Amino acid sequence: MSQTNDSVAGIPAIAVEGLAKRYGDFDAVRDLDFEIQAGEVVGFLGPNGAGKTTTMRMLTGFIPATDGSARLAGHDIFSEATLARAAVGYLPETPPLYPEMTPGSYVDFVARLKGVARRDRKTAVERALDRCGLIDVRNREIRQLSKGYRQRVGLAQAIVHDPKVLVLDEPTVGLDPIQIREIRALIQDLSATGGQTILLSTHILAEVDAICQRVILLDRGRKVLDQPLAELTGGGTSLEEVFARAMSRDEAENVEGGEAA
Amino acid sequence: MSHTLTIASRELRSLFVSPVAYVVLTLWSVIAGTFFLASLIGFQERLMQLQQYQMLQQIELMNLNDELIEPFIGSMWVILLFLLPAITMGLVSSEKANGTEELLLTSPISIWDIVLGKFLAGAGFVSVMTAIVAFFPMILFVYGEPELGKTLSGLVCLLLVSITYVAVGVFASSVTRSQLIAFVFTLVLLVMLGMMLPFIVDITLAGSGVGRDSAIAETVRWMSTGSHVDRMLKGLIDTGDLAYFAISSAAFLLLSKTVIESARWR
Repeated sequence: MSQTNDSVAGIPAIAVEGLAKRYGDFDAVRDLDFEIQAGEVVGFLGPNGAGKTTTMRMLTGFIPATDGSARLAGHDIFSEATLARAAVGYLPETPPLYPEMTPGSYVDFVARLKGVARRDRKTAVERALDRCGLIDVRNREIRQLSKGYRQRVGLAQAIVHDPKVLVLDEPTVGLDPIQIREIRALIQDLSATGGQTILLSTHILAEVDAICQRVILLDRGRKVLDQPLAELTGGGTSLEEVFARAMSRDEAENVEGGEAA
Repeated sequence: MSHTLTIASRELRSLFVSPVAYVVLTLWSVIAGTFFLASLIGFQERLMQLQQYQMLQQIELMNLNDELIEPFIGSMWVILLFLLPAITMGLVSSEKANGTEELLLTSPISIWDIVLGKFLAGAGFVSVMTAIVAFFPMILFVYGEPELGKTLSGLVCLLLVSITYVAVGVFASSVTRSQLIAFVFTLVLLVMLGMMLPFIVDITLAGSGVGRDSAIAETVRWMSTGSHVDRMLKGLIDTGDLAYFAISSAAFLLLSKTVIESARWR
């Protein structure tokens, strides 16, 4: 399949150019540009309604963009939709689970959907279940699992085909502190051992601090900040302050397509 | 193609662990058994009456196909109109309600894989329903001599009608995220398609100048499943009738595909 040999050095894992989504006369996302290099873990931040989910849905091909273009692992999301989709693993805000299935059969089903070759399928499923700590519950019905476990099944589903790019929409929302820690550890482990490029959205700043190397801040559909985390917190200011400042500056400028440095 | 089968087999497995499937299969079997028994008793009583009055000519004319099997399969077709929506209502709507639509539409598969997978799963389920109905006429072959060809034609007719109705169900299920709405919508479509169309056209045309056998009236009557079913139950398999089932299934599947596709543009 397409996933084997196309990671030529230098091709960004995610490249977004002028991406926009308009619903009627409401701009959900406006003129968005960013690039994420292979292996980076990037936090997608912003208040509710900033356009994080919309952007992720456009990247994964769930909804079409109104304007602009994007490439995943070098594949255009419109003209090479099938290749682009095969290169991405996606965990939507609500994990897309069939409550009557077991984690084992569900992850196997997703592996088939994503086109994992028949001979590799069993190993791929085992590996995904193992990495997400699901071996013990593999034969339980998903409806009986706790929220934390369901989130893990959602993650297992996203990584089963060993995608180049992982798009995680609020992976820790609604979980208790222990579950949050577990999921974060899992994401860190994925980036450390799998070398996967991860774009994850959240509005918890501590989460960004814990796992991301870089931050992209969205506000009302526009990018207002795009910086490595180290630079941001270097001057001793807290993340909260940095973001509050970036967002108020954006409000003050209020220029079409204006972008805070 | 393999993605179609992946989706179909997942759907079938989920169907067979759902209580709805068992309620429907149980009701279907019980109703089939009751109708069959009732038609059998009716047949026997008529035979005894005729024997009492020594009406040998009429006895000669009586046969199992026309007076038992055909009305039996015909009544099961009517029952189907009311039970099938319960099976098809969740086919696509539950994907929307579960959020699994997002998984399917972001996977490297085509929308046809989704539509045809759902359709195949439904077709598999109604095959089981037809097999249950087929069991009863088979009993008659042990004790009597019904015509095999005519019986098979009736059963094939029931299967084709069921499969066509599954396509209608897939469409109705793809327009909403609520299983209840999908159920009602399917029921309305099936009753219209199955029985009401000829009456509606007769009533509408009654006051107008257009004749009852005008082209429009004929076309609408052709669109109704009723007339095709009647002919096939009598043992007449006509390419025109087969084409009817193929065309209507294809039309509803195409509609489903369009609806699912357009949902992402909103």
